Amino acid sequence: MTKAPVSVSWRARNDIASRPWPGTTREYDLFKELAVGLVVVALLVLGLSAVFSSPDDPSVTLKSWAVAQPADFVATATAELGGTSGTAGYGPPYNSTADATQKLGPIDLQTLSGVRLPIDTANDFVIGPLQTLPTPPAAIDEWTKASDAQHASWTAAYGDALSKAPDNDSAKVPPGDYGPVPILTGALLAMAQQGTLDPVLSARGSFYNTDYKASILFLGDGSYFPGLADAQHLTGDQWGMMNETGNYPGQSWLWLFSALYQVEPFKSSTNADVLVVFSMVILTLLLTLVPFIPGLRSLPRRIPVHRLIWRDYYKHR
Amino acid sequence: MLGIKQADAGMSDPGTYFQWGDFLIQFGNLVVIATMVVLFILALVLPFPGRRSRK
Repeated sequence: MTKAPVSVSWRARNDIASRPWPGTTREYDLFKELAVGLVVVALLVLGLSAVFSSPDDPSVTLKSWAVAQPADFVATATAELGGTSGTAGYGPPYNSTADATQKLGPIDLQTLSGVRLPIDTANDFVIGPLQTLPTPPAAIDEWTKASDAQHASWTAAYGDALSKAPDNDSAKVPPGDYGPVPILTGALLAMAQQGTLDPVLSARGSFYNTDYKASILFLGDGSYFPGLADAQHLTGDQWGMMNETGNYPGQSWLWLFSALYQVEPFKSSTNADVLVVFSMVILTLLLTLVPFIPGLRSLPRRIPVHRLIWRDYYKHR
Repeated sequence: MLGIKQADAGMSDPGTYFQWGDFLIQFGNLVVIATMVVLFILALVLPFPGRRSRK
């Protein structure tokens, strides 16, 4: 059947929606398709779940970290005390570290958001938890009475000594002017190894543990947790795909986000996150506005894949 | 050049990875992508069911 070409404009004057359909028709049972689809998908979900299950790796906790790599834990606790860790230098929303934010030209969204989740790494990750002990170490008084400059001096000296000690073992650090830092970090290590640091950092005065921000930030400042993620390829180093642990496939819908991080200029940019988000906003707008963008909206006519799928219809048209 | 890389983690099975130069992909993700491509090609070439009942 050949019809005179009609405009497919959305403008009201064409009134295309009220015209009778001049092409061929076919019966279509929507309820049948819905029922078949539901049953097939349900069987697939149940069958695949029974065969493959789901990844069930044990959680990484401050306790497992402190037991597996006590040297890394002590070095990280020292950095938290000295304010030199990744979290301490992150900037908003945790603190107001200068020049730490990602910018999009003159736009600094990270600073605009403000310090909404203030974290003082020394007090929140080390001193505060130690004060919850039945008998807090007396070294806390020495720490709190000292100046910031003294804090920096002690932690820098101890951090340097740890890095030079055999196996980075705190027990093999030579004597030096470290102030109360070895006692504080040693007490925190013991607390973590006993498993009491996890609930203290997570609960933060609440009955239920729903806020794991402090624990995860502390874990992320060390090298143990990022090392595990790196070994499982969970740091976004794959082209276009995230992945789960083991051989479980990942979140394929994140492929474009992940792919942008693998190419320049995003790859080497210090503002990679904000650049990727901005690019995705632009691409999403382009997709949303396809019907209004000349050229882009004509792609189906130029690349008529739909004519291949609906070839039967177009053959009879 | 195909190389199979087995990661070493202190956790569970680190999985199987395929690497072509800079291109690295996990076995599970490769299966999902290959399945999607096959399904797309099948959707293109297979006829719609119920063609004979067309009026």
